[in-house]
Amino acid sequence: MPADDFFDRSEFVQYFRDETDELLQSIDADLLRLEQFVDTGSIDVEIVNSLFRALHTIKGSAGMLEFAGVQQVAHKLESVYDLLRKDRMPLTESGVNLLFEGRDVLTALVRAAVGEGEAPTGVDEYVGRLDDFAAVYDSTAQAIEGPRSEHDAEEDLTPLDEAQLAAFEADVARMLAEAQSRQSDAPEAAAEPTPEAGSGVDVDAAQAAVDALFSFGDDAAAPAPFAAAFQPAPAPTKPVKAAPTFGRAPGAAKPTKVSLTAQPASPPKAAAAKPAAAPAPAASPAAPAAEPKRAVTKNQTIRVDIERLDMLLNLVGELVINRTRISDIAATLGRELGTNGRAEGGLTTLAKDLSESSALLARTTNEIQESIMKVRMVPIGQVFDRFPRMVRDLAKARGKEIHLEIAGAETDLDKTIVDEVGEPLMHLVRNCVDHGIEPPEVREGRGKARHGTIKLNAYHEGNQVIIEISDDGGGIDLSRVREKAIRLGIIGEADRLNDREIIELIFTPGFSTADQVTDVSGRGVGMDVVKKNILRLKGVFDVDSVQGEGTKFTMKLPLTLAIIQALLVRVAQELYSIPLDAVIESQRIDAAEVRTVHGGEVITLRGQVVPLIRVGEFFRLDAPRDPDKVMIVIVGLQGRQVGLVVDSFQGEQEIVIKPLSDVIGRIAGISGATILGNGSISLIIDVHSLVASAYGGGKAARAEFSGV
Amino acid sequence: MSETIQVVSFKLGSEEYGVDIAQVQEINRMVAVTHVPRAPQFMEGVINLRGQLIPIIDLRTRFAMPRTEHTKNTRIVVTEIGTKRVGMVVDSVSEVLRLPVEQIEAAPEMITGVDTEYIRGVGKIEDRLIILLDLARIISGAEKRELEAADVEPAAV
Repeated sequence: MPADDFFDRSEFVQYFRDETDELLQSIDADLLRLEQFVDTGSIDVEIVNSLFRALHTIKGSAGMLEFAGVQQVAHKLESVYDLLRKDRMPLTESGVNLLFEGRDVLTALVRAAVGEGEAPTGVDEYVGRLDDFAAVYDSTAQAIEGPRSEHDAEEDLTPLDEAQLAAFEADVARMLAEAQSRQSDAPEAAAEPTPEAGSGVDVDAAQAAVDALFSFGDDAAAPAPFAAAFQPAPAPTKPVKAAPTFGRAPGAAKPTKVSLTAQPASPPKAAAAKPAAAPAPAASPAAPAAEPKRAVTKNQTIRVDIERLDMLLNLVGELVINRTRISDIAATLGRELGTNGRAEGGLTTLAKDLSESSALLARTTNEIQESIMKVRMVPIGQVFDRFPRMVRDLAKARGKEIHLEIAGAETDLDKTIVDEVGEPLMHLVRNCVDHGIEPPEVREGRGKARHGTIKLNAYHEGNQVIIEISDDGGGIDLSRVREKAIRLGIIGEADRLNDREIIELIFTPGFSTADQVTDVSGRGVGMDVVKKNILRLKGVFDVDSVQGEGTKFTMKLPLTLAIIQALLVRVAQELYSIPLDAVIESQRIDAAEVRTVHGGEVITLRGQVVPLIRVGEFFRLDAPRDPDKVMIVIVGLQGRQVGLVVDSFQGEQEIVIKPLSDVIGRIAGISGATILGNGSISLIIDVHSLVASAYGGGKAARAEFSGV
Repeated sequence: MSETIQVVSFKLGSEEYGVDIAQVQEINRMVAVTHVPRAPQFMEGVINLRGQLIPIIDLRTRFAMPRTEHTKNTRIVVTEIGTKRVGMVVDSVSEVLRLPVEQIEAAPEMITGVDTEYIRGVGKIEDRLIILLDLARIISGAEKRELEAADVEPAAV
């Protein structure tokens, strides 16, 4: 382990950003839940606790990285939540709005701290308002400043049952063992006396702290050092999350975390934790209850760079090849022994064992492959989570009352698609709020409930994911769309369109939403862009609307972009893959049915003339023509059909797309390659460029195509 | 002590070539190569190297030498230039040599077979001549020619 890799600040910052993003998201969700308790006089303490914990973690991490602004605001907000959960402060609407605002200030500060945005203005002003607000309820003012809030905080949490406690204990023990063994693995690193680096002292301190936690005494009133002793406890969740990010210096990262959280406000000194923790007397039973609780309720997840998964996938590919080889060897051995006739019994048994275990290996390898594919999948909820807050804010700004219902947030799809689908979804939801749901008065006038409902729903259907966004608003005003289209010159005054066709008009480029109903939406993104984005993801986009009843947008997306369904065909001894989404059907016809028009070959299929491209000849392969029959894959291309002539069909298969090396460059008709289960390579046919190139270069075919 | 460089030496026909060892990632036995249609002639195809697709250049074809059957000595030298990985088919791999830098001369005109464009120099060790290849040139030439091939040649339909 090179010493300079020891503390890579950028990795910590990256980790901080990811972790904080998640926490800010959860703060949003919790605030929305909390909002329902406004002025009810009661409050769900669990929600407040969750908010408190999130802010506490942000504060700690920010302290470690010396992001003073983040730390300060997180601290102030934390104090307000502390007042809330101690019932010292009633929950009011203005209070909740202040907390929402605080979350946004914090987000802006975090963005600026990690170098992704400008430093926000008005932070001091906000902190001032927050202080004023809190001061009313907290005359002592100490709760905001002192460490007391931290201490008090833990007392209010409910104790754990024994099982949870045992689990926690095991976690801590494991963590300590790991930290210690890592440390002995990396003596060079451990010897490094930098303040950031973990050293034996940290582990000792953590050990002492944990010892203190589990030696329950009668001294229920935990004195000040208790706070330090208690702090190492977050470790059970943290190392797990940190492992991939800090992979290069795991031994260092963990103890560092421990010592740093112990002293969030000051620059970490390894030794600092020791005097604080060592004299820690017996802690009250409530103390361990606080943190294990988090360990239990929090998701056990790790963050992994997608490239590492791809690497893993490649390695599994290699495993598959070797597995195939072993199976072959086993089979050959079995045959040889069989023909030999008088093979010794021992050898025969060995051969049998070999073939059995190679079969087992095959199954395991396949499972590993599938599992890695699944790991790439993430729940769509990651995207949905941002909408409750967005809808709340938008609705307030527009003076509308809107309920957002979310279903199927757990539906999995490929990470790349989840990343891409956020933008179009956001636009659609915004569209529903702006144009779909009517103002409360209008709704009442129409005999509907005052509050409108927007539903977000996701579910799997076959190997597709369906996402629906619907509202019970006014629906698309067909006559207005028609008017607008005429005004824009998209259709003529005299054109007669059915409802379906009129709805389709909103996807015309330039048909901005700006003029549709309100002034606020239509930030330059039209529905055409939404549709284009979804098509780019190889998805399908559809809209249904009933005037007066509502609008429903439906998108159908593939589960993943990296894996597609393909038809395997053989051409001149090589296997090629044709993406199934381009394939309409495959046909086996008599060679006599192929006719020639202007030197190009065509067939007539259900009355339609379909030009043919012989793939083998296009690729200049040594592919003799079959005199009797022709195997044709009919592909669809911008409404036209083209027949690709191949040697044989080899069935459908899911394939993983890999790009061809850029050393080879772009090749007409080939979009990439895939590695098949037996390790061999199949090139993927790019139907679009193949057809374009065939017609662009072949005079006969071009004449044929235009002649059809 | 004079400065030396380490090269992996290999043979094509009777001539001996070398590439900087820092650019050699590994040396493999010949494996099944998947032909890539419409690629330039010297582009033998692609292989699956532990799940990665590696393009393979046939050096004989690249240097306009007659092609020969692959033998048990045929090797694929997998090289890494920048972020690009390319395998080169050679007749056989000889050894790893230390060449004193002062023993390397500019490519003489008289070398037959290989276009001097792809040669960094010629190293002398005892009575052997090692032709040092400029891999970046070989690859970038590959890209250039590929594009030409794609643009100029009409599609056969």
